[in-house]
Amino acid sequence: MQPLRIALAQVAPRLGALDANLERHRGLIREARAGGAGLVVFPELGLTGYLLSDLAAEVAMRLDDPRLAALAAETAGELSAVVSFVEESSDHRLFIAAALMEDGEVRHVHRKVFLPTYGQFDERRFFAPGDIVRATPSRLGVGVGIAVCEDFWHLQTPQLLALDGAQILLNVSSSPGRDLAASNEVGLGTASSWRTLMRTYAQLTGSFVVFVNRVGVDESMTFWGGSEVIGPSGAPVFSAPFFDDDLYLVDVNLDEVRRERIALPLLRDERLELQARELGRIIAERAGLAVDTTAEPGAGPGLDVAPSRKRPTARDAAEAPEAPGEPIRLRSRRR
Amino acid sequence: MSAVQAVPTDDAGRPLFELPDELAIDTDVARRVISGFIRGQLEQAGFERLVLGLSGGIDSGLVAYLVAEAIGAENLLCILMPYRTSSPASRADAETIAADLGCRSELVEITAMVDGYFGADGGTGAGGDGVRDASALRRGNFMARMRMSVLYDRSVAFTGLVVGTGNKTESLIGYTTLFGDNACAFNPIGDLYKSQVRQLAAAIGVPKAVIAKAPSADLWPNQTDEGEGSFSYPLLDRILYWRIDRRRSTDELVGMGFERALVGRVEGLVARSEFKRQVPPIAKLGPRTAGVDYLYPRRRPGSARS
Repeated sequence: MQPLRIALAQVAPRLGALDANLERHRGLIREARAGGAGLVVFPELGLTGYLLSDLAAEVAMRLDDPRLAALAAETAGELSAVVSFVEESSDHRLFIAAALMEDGEVRHVHRKVFLPTYGQFDERRFFAPGDIVRATPSRLGVGVGIAVCEDFWHLQTPQLLALDGAQILLNVSSSPGRDLAASNEVGLGTASSWRTLMRTYAQLTGSFVVFVNRVGVDESMTFWGGSEVIGPSGAPVFSAPFFDDDLYLVDVNLDEVRRERIALPLLRDERLELQARELGRIIAERAGLAVDTTAEPGAGPGLDVAPSRKRPTARDAAEAPEAPGEPIRLRSRRR
Repeated sequence: MSAVQAVPTDDAGRPLFELPDELAIDTDVARRVISGFIRGQLEQAGFERLVLGLSGGIDSGLVAYLVAEAIGAENLLCILMPYRTSSPASRADAETIAADLGCRSELVEITAMVDGYFGADGGTGAGGDGVRDASALRRGNFMARMRMSVLYDRSVAFTGLVVGTGNKTESLIGYTTLFGDNACAFNPIGDLYKSQVRQLAAAIGVPKAVIAKAPSADLWPNQTDEGEGSFSYPLLDRILYWRIDRRRSTDELVGMGFERALVGRVEGLVARSEFKRQVPPIAKLGPRTAGVDYLYPRRRPGSARS
């Protein structure tokens, strides 16, 4: 029996207010410890707030910043914490970082690899992408894989972390809620999508998935919370309420990973050499360094589709008897 | 959490409004998000109170209810600002809303301000002889900007921010007065189409009479939005939703059954009013220019009123 009490710090950071957020983190780490937690997880950029823009450089910290050391000191004696902040590297790149702090020191740092720069997001303008996805051993007795928000919108992240030895996949997020269509399963389109991802990753990798999303408001964005712990079978262990600022304690049994991975050995059966080989081929083909054996005849170097092929246009689609993907009722005119 | 209320009905059992399926929202989630948004904006700015112009229409009515839900009616000041030709029924509706909420309300007639500029009863106003025959459009815009001036003045006396009441439909088609009714510190309903405003208004308890009446800018007697634009809100909302939110092309909209001429007309309104939805451009001259490459959040440590 490997019981673990996880504290989900679903908090609303104050934008740019590093000192106030540090103080809140310290308080919550103590509260989590008092509640018997072995692991406390804070959201993406919990120490700084999300929508920083040019403020990012002003709240950035080096990894040897005494303020981080002081925060890490709070974990001395049987406690692990994941905190997130803006990291400035020695060559002055700014990263969205998430650090695992254990037994009083920083054990591991993950730098957000995938920076969404589309739609309402503009991260690549202000931040450098991390280049490394690695699991890390932890005092919890199992490997831990840390990812930040958008990192989980790419299949390779949870897969690499699990293959690298993680049995707990941690995603810390600042996910803004959007799409209130009444047809959504849980009243919020963003939440429905996230829930699908997390259950899928947990089941396909036979790992616990811990998702901690912030709440509160930065400018136009409202962050929806809804933090979760998903068991290695893909079934949710705990789902926090949307929008509430609170610390949630969740008990899990890490032995479940063993049971699931033996019963459903999907991770065991992953074909790493096959994937690496095919990826190597695709990379060479995309770079125009190899003949693309799967491309259409006439496709240019690095492209899979030939330029001459007739493709359906929007007008063709509109003239088709039924516009694909649209409910039929929309074809009737209503005045 | 999903909360889809049936469209409420009038005394005769007819639906109060038409709600296209694709526009229906989860009103519980919307109220939760908007409440947090209002509180968050105030907290970051260092204010606790809000001022709004209450016309008696559904948009400002809904915002009044949302503000009361978020921060309590005692922190809301509603200003009624009729002109001498404004509909007495609108004013009565506004008074009903303020009484129902139990919030403060003040009456500021803008007649003397408007007539003082354009002139009245054959006399010349401050604007000179040239404005005596000014069009209804000019007069309407002037009234909207007078109301804005009153709101911003009263907001200082009340120690509050001005909360916006414009909806997404009117913003997208440009049916607003620049620096007039669209002026505000923040807007909690600016991403809701008119049909969604109606749905949310019904859910939060805006009086049925306010929900059911024909929307009007009330800039001249018997004006209605739909009469002036010759459209219906549900249809307009659907076109905007599919074109903008769901990125469908004109041809795809026609394929879905919308009239090509109407779609084209709506697209023209949207394109022509793009300037109303954006901050005016500053000529880029220096090394760092606000809004171009000087990009800070509106509120950060030190920017709140203390």
